[in-house]
Amino acid sequence: MEVDSIPQQTQDKKPPIQSADLVVGILADLDRDGVASLCEGLGTFPGSPRIVVLQRGPIVDAPLATSPSDCGTTSLSVVSWSSLDPEPSGALQQSISAACLSLFAVTEKLKARGCCLVASKMESGTPQWVGQLMQPLLDADFHLVVPRYAPRSLQGMLNSSVLYPLIRCLYGKRIHNPLGPDVGVSQRLAQKILGNNRNNKPGPGRTHPLASLVPMALLDNMPVCEVHVGARVYPPTDWTNLSSLVAQVLDPIFLDMERSAAFWQRTRGSLPIPARGKPSSVSPGTEILDTHRMVETFQLGVRDLHEIWSLVLPPAILLELRKLSRLTPEQVHMPDALWARIIYDFALAHRLRTINREHLLRSMTPLYLAWVVSFGRELEGAESAIVEKRIERLASAYEAEKPYLVSRWRWPDRFNP
Amino acid sequence: MWNQVKHALVDSTTRFLTELAGLLPGMVAVIVALLISVLFAWIIAMVVRRVLSGMQFDKRLSGWGFSSLSEGSPGMSPTLLISRTVASLVIITGLLIGIAAFDAESTSLFVRSVFAYIPNIIGAALVLLVGSVIARFLARSVLIGAVNMNLQHARLLSAGVKWLVTVLAVAMALEHLRIAPGIVELAFGILFGGIVLSLALAVGLGSKELVTKSLERDGKNVPSENFEEPFRHV
Repeated sequence: MEVDSIPQQTQDKKPPIQSADLVVGILADLDRDGVASLCEGLGTFPGSPRIVVLQRGPIVDAPLATSPSDCGTTSLSVVSWSSLDPEPSGALQQSISAACLSLFAVTEKLKARGCCLVASKMESGTPQWVGQLMQPLLDADFHLVVPRYAPRSLQGMLNSSVLYPLIRCLYGKRIHNPLGPDVGVSQRLAQKILGNNRNNKPGPGRTHPLASLVPMALLDNMPVCEVHVGARVYPPTDWTNLSSLVAQVLDPIFLDMERSAAFWQRTRGSLPIPARGKPSSVSPGTEILDTHRMVETFQLGVRDLHEIWSLVLPPAILLELRKLSRLTPEQVHMPDALWARIIYDFALAHRLRTINREHLLRSMTPLYLAWVVSFGRELEGAESAIVEKRIERLASAYEAEKPYLVSRWRWPDRFNP
Repeated sequence: MWNQVKHALVDSTTRFLTELAGLLPGMVAVIVALLISVLFAWIIAMVVRRVLSGMQFDKRLSGWGFSSLSEGSPGMSPTLLISRTVASLVIITGLLIGIAAFDAESTSLFVRSVFAYIPNIIGAALVLLVGSVIARFLARSVLIGAVNMNLQHARLLSAGVKWLVTVLAVAMALEHLRIAPGIVELAFGILFGGIVLSLALAVGLGSKELVTKSLERDGKNVPSENFEEPFRHV
């Protein structure tokens, strides 16, 4: 392996990188050893591809502890992200979508076959998963490789409760972590996203570079696969920004839903996608579950947000919510079908712009918390296999309720008790 | 003597009839202008009603947070309210055009002053409309934010914000209409200052400990809860 670690000060002295086979963008907070370990993993990549690793911030000299004999002929260059970004905007640090777009632009510029975004840390600490995520792009012509993290009872709640079941129900493919954020993307798919963003003005017309990957690939019949990458270390919850988080995640999903309505209205059922690697199970957490605060927020929502919810939800659902809010915190349990219908009604209200979209999605937070409470209490201390079964049961409920969505979507003005 | 009386009577009758004849074209003009304006008003109101019904204005309006407007509208329909307002404006305009046709100096002056005042009315209406939109938007934002932050008095906060902005908008509109500007200014100052002062007192006295803790927490930049929440969302 040739490893070029280029300090920022001396970058100009090195010949500029003109092309590559793969580009890896590191967005995760990896220290020097972390980057070195990741590069070591990439060094053993079969087929001796030329890999460019983009790292945020200045590149620290010689962090890589691999010897050429370990790595065959793989050429690996670690460069500062901003040095290769065709449109440096300074927004890289601010959002994952800006980083994604930048990574795609670099991939296009270097005419690479694909790229990989590394945005998470894994519990195992071994960097092999990055290579596993990129391999299907090269050897099996997959256009999108998504991670499949080992499920854990109280983690990735937004994914388990909305993203996975909704995308599975809409597009008919069982993609367990459709929003990554660690993904492998082919050049074709990256170019498609970039082209869409260049042709549309900023606003709802533009696609989210991460959230739209799965819908875009499936709508274009691009092969998608998932790779078992182990257990992900999730960032801690910032309670003050939870509603913003919900809005940021769901807005692009609902926008894509609107764009691809003709496709998903024809789709029935769902199929698994090709998977690589071995599923791993993680030991159940021993965290103390305190749901009082979340139940209180839900009860407050039922009391104070009724006016807003009544514009979105039909009377029968409002009645159910009212009944739930009267229960003691220990008794609150939201049925799967009710939760699926709530998501569908919010998606419809988002499409119809019943109220300001930001308000709409933020007002969903108390309902989401009620769901999280029910789900968390059910799975407290559960093994991975049980968690997975529970998530599958929820996804089946979404599929069972799909006729409700189709009917509401087609005839939103029809009386709905 | 009799001749003089007869002459005076004939003169006054002639003068009256002449003046009446002079007024007649003006009166006819008023009636014609009124009739035409009624016809126009009816057509315009019908068009407005159809356009608004086509875009489901009533439903959208309640979606934008103006549900209370429906309650104050004839037939619970803001569409009807707007179409009737437009029709009334057209009829008033027709009436003013008709009055101006008298060509009498006083009526002309009256019409001129009415027309000169119209920009103020439009400006005030715009200020009220924008103020109302901003008030409702902010009230909804505060309500949702407060509920999500688990604040018990979310509705009270939201109503406070709404009335604060509404009072400001009404004061600006009255100022624009030049209706007792001194009193409005004074009343607004007292009312606005009162609201802010009461809020400050409520926060300062009622939530003294909460604010202190919050400030200490911000200063030290420590997590908002002592115990770490086990849930991870994304």
